[in-house]
Amino acid sequence: MHETGIVQEIFDTLQQEYPYRYQSIVKIQLEAGLLSNIQPILIQNAFEAYVIDEPQFAEVELEVKVLPIHAFCENCQEAFEVVFHRFVCNCGTPSSQVIQGEELRISQVIFKKEAI
Amino acid sequence: MSNTISPKSNQMPVGSVQCENTSLNLLKANDFVAKAIRDRLTDICVINICSSPGSGKTTLMQETGKRLGQDLNIAVLVGDPETERDAIRMREVGINALQIVTGGMCHIEAQMILQALDHINLENVDLLFIENVGNLVCPAAFDLGEDYRVTLLAATEGDDKPKKYPRMFLTSELMVVSKADLLPYVPFSVDAVTKDAREVNPNLDVISISSLKGDGVDEWCNWLKERVAAKKAAASVSE
Repeated sequence: MHETGIVQEIFDTLQQEYPYRYQSIVKIQLEAGLLSNIQPILIQNAFEAYVIDEPQFAEVELEVKVLPIHAFCENCQEAFEVVFHRFVCNCGTPSSQVIQGEELRISQVIFKKEAI
Repeated sequence: MSNTISPKSNQMPVGSVQCENTSLNLLKANDFVAKAIRDRLTDICVINICSSPGSGKTTLMQETGKRLGQDLNIAVLVGDPETERDAIRMREVGINALQIVTGGMCHIEAQMILQALDHINLENVDLLFIENVGNLVCPAAFDLGEDYRVTLLAATEGDDKPKKYPRMFLTSELMVVSKADLLPYVPFSVDAVTKDAREVNPNLDVISISSLKGDGVDEWCNWLKERVAAKKAAASVSE
């Protein structure tokens, strides 16, 4: 729904974080939890559309990694994977303490190394 | 149009790159503003009301205003892609309401709330409702600095929604089954929807309400009064 805004946010965030090396980025890796409502193919499309207007980033690659949902079980004192949005541990204890799955973040940036 | 854009990874300049692992949160701008709202509204209980379009958010606000208007000072910020209609409906029953026109956007962002706070009189307000844009998807991802999130699900929408829109129900404290007066006429089971919703969020409270007939409204008002009192108590401790 708001994928184009997210792509803009990706570039704004990177510009803020790496003001000097921003132009030499060759690859960006995103991590999107299953609960973030992000569709990798839509983000890819929005990204491709964005770089058409910003040709200096035409060679930049985007990879979207989808993270499964993990919740913490008080009974077992460990995390379990939530499948089909059933927030119940194998031991039968329900839990909505999400420890992974809501994130939407840039997890890795690869830069072209400056020629020495 | 095909989605098969050739992967650029084939062209990666191997051996001449530098890799940095980071954790840059892409919603940090929204979360930063949400925190500013929370820091500002220390003694006002803020409730973010979400649902699909047409499930009865505004009618519930009107009814809440009529019932609690004597005991509590209530204000409402109401978001819609277009028109002032909802704010007008609320003012008709005496509620202090301000319309946020999102200009086509499918959700309210924290920045819109922060700006709206300067245009609504919050003096002596106990309870501030944010009536979100009707949508069970995008609003779930945007923290508006609220204390509680309440999701309405009308009996006419079908009892299969919590599993279809899990993030909304996961991030809510209360699910209100609205239009409960229609339950005898529609295939909707409150037990089934409660069971499904609690598989997504075991701590979810559930209240069935008919804003038009009045069923469940007392229970809803008590739920609100408890939260307002809790917020006031917390504010007076931290002072």
